[in-house]
Amino acid sequence: MSARDDIIAAVREGLKRGQGGALPRRAPAEIRAEAAALLAGLDEIRPSLVTPDPVEAFIQKCANPALGVTLDRVAGWAALPQAVTGYLDRHELPHRLAVSGDPRLSALGPGIETHAPCAPDEAAAISIASWGVAETGSVVIHSAPDQPILNAMLPRHWLVVVEAAKILPFLDDYATFASLRPRNAVLITGSSGTTDIEGYFVRGAHGPGFVHVLLIG
Amino acid sequence: MGAPEKSENFKQRAHDALADPNLKTAIERTTGTAETKRAAAIGAFPEFQAARVRGAAIKDHVIANLDHYLIEFERNATEAGAHVHWARDAKEAAAIVTRICTEAEAKIVTRAKSMLGEEIGLPHALEDAGIERVETDLAEHIIQLAHERPSHIIWPAMHRTREDVAELFFKDHQPPPDADDPASMVASARRVLREKFMAADVGISGANFLVADTGATCTVTNEGNAELSTTPPRIHIVTAGIEKLVPSTDHAMALLRLLVRSATGGEVTQYTTFHCGPKRVGDADGPEEMHIVLVDNGRSRMVGDEFRQMLRCIRCGACMNHCVVYRQIGGHAYGGTYPGPMGAVLTPVLDGLAASRDLPHACTLNGRCEEVCPVRIPLKTLLKAWRVRSWDSQQEVGAVRMGLGIWGFAARRPRLYHFGTRLALPVMRLFGKGGWIRKMPLAGGWTETRDLPKPAARSFMSQHAKYGNGGPK
Repeated sequence: MSARDDIIAAVREGLKRGQGGALPRRAPAEIRAEAAALLAGLDEIRPSLVTPDPVEAFIQKCANPALGVTLDRVAGWAALPQAVTGYLDRHELPHRLAVSGDPRLSALGPGIETHAPCAPDEAAAISIASWGVAETGSVVIHSAPDQPILNAMLPRHWLVVVEAAKILPFLDDYATFASLRPRNAVLITGSSGTTDIEGYFVRGAHGPGFVHVLLIG
Repeated sequence: MGAPEKSENFKQRAHDALADPNLKTAIERTTGTAETKRAAAIGAFPEFQAARVRGAAIKDHVIANLDHYLIEFERNATEAGAHVHWARDAKEAAAIVTRICTEAEAKIVTRAKSMLGEEIGLPHALEDAGIERVETDLAEHIIQLAHERPSHIIWPAMHRTREDVAELFFKDHQPPPDADDPASMVASARRVLREKFMAADVGISGANFLVADTGATCTVTNEGNAELSTTPPRIHIVTAGIEKLVPSTDHAMALLRLLVRSATGGEVTQYTTFHCGPKRVGDADGPEEMHIVLVDNGRSRMVGDEFRQMLRCIRCGACMNHCVVYRQIGGHAYGGTYPGPMGAVLTPVLDGLAASRDLPHACTLNGRCEEVCPVRIPLKTLLKAWRVRSWDSQQEVGAVRMGLGIWGFAARRPRLYHFGTRLALPVMRLFGKGGWIRKMPLAGGWTETRDLPKPAARSFMSQHAKYGNGGPK
């Protein structure tokens, strides 16, 4: 027998033993219904938002110093170049960004030089997140032709744009979108960090040491 | 890389660990912080108790339908373009991974920390196959340089002080770190490992969850090393135990809330990534091949007995952070892949009870591990179950059996028992100084590494006989 058959047979044998000798065969629909019932009454098993408005809650979460995130509210897409330039100037960075093929980023304006792909030692890159999550202050990116995952991982400074209309209240609200099944769905919450040396928290372990959220609208 | 030691030499290793004051300091720093941060995170999550009841129910549901979920996961992962492999045991699993690497003519392999990888002996297997293995988690990088095994499932280098790390990095990093403070050392590791990330042929990760209805595997990290290990190389290999299944991403989220708070005291890790198949047509980046190795290695046996409940474990490490024994002896003393209370339950499954019977005995049964376990594993009960099996299978040595026999004889005869203590306590008090006994005949096993409290001047029983239930007026 193949390893697969052996393992499944051993699991069934174990289940039979554990259930007193018989393995009740249940229809997949029945198993699905039981699994769904385990998620009933989600409010009883998840924390409540710091404030009922998801956008406000997201902003407050991002203000938590433990996340290592800064956030700017941007009036609209037209105001994005100015907000980006402002950030780069505050950190004394050149007006140079790694971008993806997303057309909304190629039009960042004449004052900002954009290029692709992101270099291993890139100073700054910008991405557009598909969603934000108010519960945790996370942003979510799905890999795609115009969404390189490495742009979020390689630079020292990562700028991420998210629309206020795309802020979801809870992690569970994002889970619905998992059915899109991109190669990579990454929930990013703050900057990269480690506590591996004597528990000291150090930022910028492998991923970005600085994460700046540009919240549009 | 140190080979996993035999769990059978536990007593000697525990003795050596107790005699090492630096080790105790190093462990206490990290576990102490972990305990405080977890308590704060749980305090800010009033729904925690309800959530852990539900978390346990989710895992129980998965185990009760494990065959169904394995097949569903395999179908969906395959549909997403991943190759699913099955391994009956550790050897088979390590062989599958090394075969994929050698067939791909891989020279450099990056690894994102995975305890399952340790369990199946992957570090050794890769080295034996002549493949350069690069550990990318900072703590794993430290212990790779020190040729050691992880001593904790969340902080593998917990036993190493900052000074130890500086010594390792100054010796091995080219160029060396700018200074010996943690920030400079982390920056140095970032520099050194960045080149490896981009040059690797294969990236290997574990999985915190296997999502049945999407076929995705989920990793959680704070450093971002999993994404950097799995995106640039041509091949991504996942090794995961078959108990890691969850029905859906929604269920993964419910467990994620429990996992991260219990492990580090955060609400969620910095990076939570779902990997679903290889790079799609037109994708900007990602591996061309994805392989998932589903590992049994004793788990299917656990499905049928009381150790089924151990399959709930989500590997948060809270049980060891709160264990009075772990905090004295550290992780290496346990000898197996998994230390602490969860390790003392799992190691006899993985290595056999004959080789690890001391582990379930290295426990005070104070129940702290059970209280903090986010999926309510009855660790105390399971440890006792191993003790019973160990006794029943005649694995206890003659002296222990005889000692317990004498104690049992006396304990069933209260008068004899009280007579014995009346004789023994005044003698013990003769050896006490300032409330503690530093040395006493027949008690060397205890007093060599710690003091014994001096018995009170009057025993509880004698005071009870004198004052009755009301106590002294």
